[in-house]
Amino acid sequence: MTHDERHDEDSVGAAPLEGLARKRMPGRLLEERTVRALRVRGLLAAPRIQWSWVTAALAASIALFTGGFALGQMNATRTVAGVILAEREQTAMEAALMVQRTGSAHVMALARLATLSDSTANGAVEQGREAAKAALYAAAGELASLAPDDPVAAQIRRYLSSTLPTRATQEIEQRSVVWF
Amino acid sequence: MDVTSREPPEPGDRSLAQMVLERGDERAFRTLYRRHTPLLYQFVLRTLEGNEQDAEDVIQETWMRAVENLESFRWEGPLKNWLLGIALNCCRTLFRRKDRAWLELDERFGWSATDGPEEHIDVERALELLPPGYRTVLLLHDLEGYKHHEIAELLGTTAGTSKSQLFHARRSLRSLLLGAAQSR
Repeated sequence: MTHDERHDEDSVGAAPLEGLARKRMPGRLLEERTVRALRVRGLLAAPRIQWSWVTAALAASIALFTGGFALGQMNATRTVAGVILAEREQTAMEAALMVQRTGSAHVMALARLATLSDSTANGAVEQGREAAKAALYAAAGELASLAPDDPVAAQIRRYLSSTLPTRATQEIEQRSVVWF
Repeated sequence: MDVTSREPPEPGDRSLAQMVLERGDERAFRTLYRRHTPLLYQFVLRTLEGNEQDAEDVIQETWMRAVENLESFRWEGPLKNWLLGIALNCCRTLFRRKDRAWLELDERFGWSATDGPEEHIDVERALELLPPGYRTVLLLHDLEGYKHHEIAELLGTTAGTSKSQLFHARRSLRSLLLGAAQSR
């Protein structure tokens, strides 16, 4: 009996390998690694530079840069203008609110002064009255500069200038702000 | 028959190899790589007991050696067989480097399937438990359909050795699978 006969594979039968996969692709990195190694050894040519592609890519980059730059500039200008406008609007709104708030406070303070007008502290009440008139005079002045054609503001100023002491009206004109 | 939907036939291995040889054509190489690597990789992965890292190294080395020696390939047989032969040589080198036996038949005849674990195992696991020499011949013959004289050529051995390897490999595999089935 020969060695081959003793180990005749047919006496055992084929192994049950039917269900086994015969192919499997390794990760993509292996292909790149192999290609690179072949290039290093000079077995594969280095990738050729396609000048037409490089030129096109360069042109596209410049166009992209220029476009982006222009867009950025336009946006920046728009933004700055918007900010200034918004700030102005905000400042005017704040000023109007302040006029309203301080006007209310001024009226309330006068109302409070009116309730004390028959008290014994006549000197203090008189001082308050003078201050109120001075404030009214100064406010009418500001109103007149805000709206020069406003007849009410002009009349108030005219009337109060005749009742207030000359020194007081001069001080108000010089300072534009009434300090009490 | 719809002729318009037909894709142009891909160039054969020989013309692709020619392109690689003549001008180091990367695209031709990639086509060859994608055509043959899946089979090589699966085979090598099984031979190396599922070690993916080693299998990838072997595949890379296989292609390096193949391209280096492409000129010496006579085209008397399919390129696939030649590549598989290189891959098996690389596996053998790897086993040797790791002090593992490859085709030491006489020593391996003493190996018994009862040496394996008794838990449930499938065919893949059973294959992994076989000695590398048994496993390689079994896969080449029963899965890839190679004849004994081709296996002998691939492994640098004789057809008789291939036959006896196959006999022992089949018997061991069956014992492993039977033992696992009985212990369930």
